[in-house]
Amino acid sequence: MADTVQLFITCLLDTLYPPIGEAVVEVLQRLGVKLEFPTGQTCCGQPAFNAGLRQQARPVAQHTIQVFEKTRGPVVIPSGSCVGMIRHGYLELFAEDPLWYERACALAERTFEFSEFLVDYLGVTDLDARWPGKLTYHSSCHLLRELGIDRQPRQLLQAVQGAEFVELPYAGDCCGFGGVFSAEHPALSSAMLARKLENIRLSGAPTVVVCDAGCLTNIQGGLRRNGMTQQVVHIAQVLSDRKSVARTA
Amino acid sequence: MPTEFHRRIHTALADSQLQAALDGNAERRLQALTQAFASIPEGRAALRQRAHAMRADVIANLESYLAEFIAHATENGLLVHRAADAAEALSIVSQIAHESGARLIAKSKTMVGEEIRLNEHLEAQGLKVVETDLGEYIVQLRGEPPAHIITPAVHLTRSQVGRTFEEKLGLPFTTDIPTLTAAARRVLRQTFLEADIGVSGVNAGVAESGTLCLVTNEGNGRMCTTLPDIHIALMGLERLVPTFDDLALLLALLPRSATGQKLSVYTSLINAPRRPGESDGPSQRHLIVIDNGRLALRRSALAEALYCIRCGACLNVCPVFREIGGHAYISPQGQMTPYPGPIGSVISPGLFGVASFGNLARASSLCGACTEACPVEIDLPKLLLRIRAADADPATLGLPPAAEPSTHSHVPSALRLGLSLFSWAAARPRLFALAQRIAGLFSRLVPAPAGWMRLPAFTGWGLARDFPRPAARPFSASLLAASLASKSGAETHAATRPGSRQTSHAAPDPQASLDPTPPLTLTPPERIERFAAELTALGGQAVRCQTQDLAGCILHTLKAQEIASLYAWEAAYLPQGLLEALKAAGIQVTHQPDPQAKVGLTGALAGIAETGTLVISSVPGRPLTASLLPETHLAILRSQDILDRLGQALALPQVRQAAASVLISGPSRTADIEMTLTIGVHGPKTLLVFILEA
Repeated sequence: MADTVQLFITCLLDTLYPPIGEAVVEVLQRLGVKLEFPTGQTCCGQPAFNAGLRQQARPVAQHTIQVFEKTRGPVVIPSGSCVGMIRHGYLELFAEDPLWYERACALAERTFEFSEFLVDYLGVTDLDARWPGKLTYHSSCHLLRELGIDRQPRQLLQAVQGAEFVELPYAGDCCGFGGVFSAEHPALSSAMLARKLENIRLSGAPTVVVCDAGCLTNIQGGLRRNGMTQQVVHIAQVLSDRKSVARTA
Repeated sequence: MPTEFHRRIHTALADSQLQAALDGNAERRLQALTQAFASIPEGRAALRQRAHAMRADVIANLESYLAEFIAHATENGLLVHRAADAAEALSIVSQIAHESGARLIAKSKTMVGEEIRLNEHLEAQGLKVVETDLGEYIVQLRGEPPAHIITPAVHLTRSQVGRTFEEKLGLPFTTDIPTLTAAARRVLRQTFLEADIGVSGVNAGVAESGTLCLVTNEGNGRMCTTLPDIHIALMGLERLVPTFDDLALLLALLPRSATGQKLSVYTSLINAPRRPGESDGPSQRHLIVIDNGRLALRRSALAEALYCIRCGACLNVCPVFREIGGHAYISPQGQMTPYPGPIGSVISPGLFGVASFGNLARASSLCGACTEACPVEIDLPKLLLRIRAADADPATLGLPPAAEPSTHSHVPSALRLGLSLFSWAAARPRLFALAQRIAGLFSRLVPAPAGWMRLPAFTGWGLARDFPRPAARPFSASLLAASLASKSGAETHAATRPGSRQTSHAAPDPQASLDPTPPLTLTPPERIERFAAELTALGGQAVRCQTQDLAGCILHTLKAQEIASLYAWEAAYLPQGLLEALKAAGIQVTHQPDPQAKVGLTGALAGIAETGTLVISSVPGRPLTASLLPETHLAILRSQDILDRLGQALALPQVRQAAASVLISGPSRTADIEMTLTIGVHGPKTLLVFILEA
């Protein structure tokens, strides 16, 4: 693999889940990817953008564009909604600014979600990963509906040895996170989360796989608060050789 | 600070009856939607793209389509009025009512009527207004607004409806839906017969012909537009399709998306008032074309919201609507909007102001289920985000003037402050890294079993979730990250995603057939088979017989029901000798609209095989009410008149020329109470089609 690949870890994974970052790196390097981690990367700007605060979101987006403009090769992001932000949100954010719009398009075109990158770009579905027991998959909204990414993570999970893949009932229903929505409408968000937790229980799987840090935080936070023992893991953790699933804070 | 909006959300979440009703709605509608689209092998995606392009064209060229439509409607004899706002529309209706000395108004469901608060206005003038859609009638009895744009009583259980009928109509309490439906039929039938004016909405106006298209299932829409001497149609000015081909496309999507039907039971196509020699139909038809903020919305960044065809699918799939129902969609001050759900969260602020209704766009997780369900592919999350942006900073977007000036933003001030600080730091990497380390350190002061902190409920997050403790050392500060630090300078990049930068809405393939439904080409026997099978699936009956046996077949049916009289088309329009044979057997026949008649006998202009539909056009001697008023409708269809597809029926010259036509797909039905299918509301309960072999 001659191409250099840039990793955008995203603010939530960076701050809350360094072990997931390690798993992402391990998987990509194992596939021979020449991985780089551009310094100075922070956040894609989605929180302010989703809140409607576009003036505040623009400098963050510009910063991200600038950080990755200095690099070359595909940009891999292990969190779906941040990919959606760059591919669609940035174009909306800079719709009336032709220069930045062009620069945003250039970044959008080289941006890949992690599972999409593995399956569609590298053409890999079997990573020789092993996982004992049942796995289920939560189709995050932005991955499934905004980006149309669902087949890729499922293919990767189907190939995991030792794992029994079970379907999550209503897998594509929103978990209730929605970024600022969960802060502004906690009761509503929690009611949606309760349905997701019940469906996880019904699936019978002890492990729920996601490709988005927001859903992971929301669902795992709900499971813990409700005393449920199921665990939410990022797909990189399943595919990685380093199965350090438990959070190390 | 909790607003009236928050209070409604909490009330809804705590209301177990409402939760059960909304769960039932979501599950049944999802199932119906999936099944309905299974019948279009061409694929929903292609149809949606074409419908999106068609609606985009209408909205982009609205003025010229509107002028074309109004010119044709006026030529056809409709009395066309234009209303700039609600007040003008109301005064036009009042004037018509006043000039005609009307007292009783029968109203079919109209969302724009809700929008301008027509009932309130007319009642204040001493007029009696009766909603005749079963769901609307129920909520009107309860003094409530509709809770859904197509299922007004979606929030009620059958026992609540039973209680309402007991209290308001003095009926013995029952939870039996057919009994409740029959009671409404009895009460409302009187209204239809006595009403001076019928008011309806319009699902689509056809620009090339000036035709009004209305879809209903119960038959109340047909009653309101056929029986009273004056018909007033209210129409939002964006509700247009350019041609009949486009109408066929719209009709392939609207009923499927709304109720999971291939076609609604009654698709009315109205061109003109009653013509000389016709025995039914109103002598005056008024059409009020209402702006009320739509042209301003069209000039804004929210113009795509005008593509909406009001099917309600986005409400049915919305996880937020499922939790709170339609009545919770109000402004923070408690101002109501008739438009709930995802599309309502865009058009309410779009038409009535972001300052009032911008809060609705914030009550969304932006999950996109709405867009996935939308038959015209409106990008609702994008529009919701634009409203949020306009609300946070009105200067940034060209939103409709009605939306401004926004003196009060719906962005909570703590959130604005927090996100402003966060974003400020996120554009400054060193500061951001420092903030991460500080968060990591300070969170060490909070107990976090297995790394998860229990935050208090007032934080919002802590209401039902734990939060992970930030890492003491973020990934970006790890040795691993340092070992990967980029060294490359500014170079051009080669890798791009395949298929990127494509426009999401490709132009429709010019080679594709204009007919939206698959190019069904059936042999004559297959056509008859398919028609009969579809009709039977709708609850109708198909009887195949030879012309010489027809009278015998009809007499057999009448005798079985002990019926000795008929309301029939004139003899010239039925098979030769048929009426004579029936009269000779002692059956009394009338040709004038007779509310007492138990059985109506009609011919049919055509049948549609793919949907089991009868096509009937009004002509002197062939009254439309013969297929509407009686409890039993007997129709005679010549097998050679059965067409394959809807588009072919809409192309028939008679359909385009008659004062009014109707496409009938099965007996009258409703699902307004607990989404439970009930046959026979206002129209016939029994539909029997005699297919004459050629």
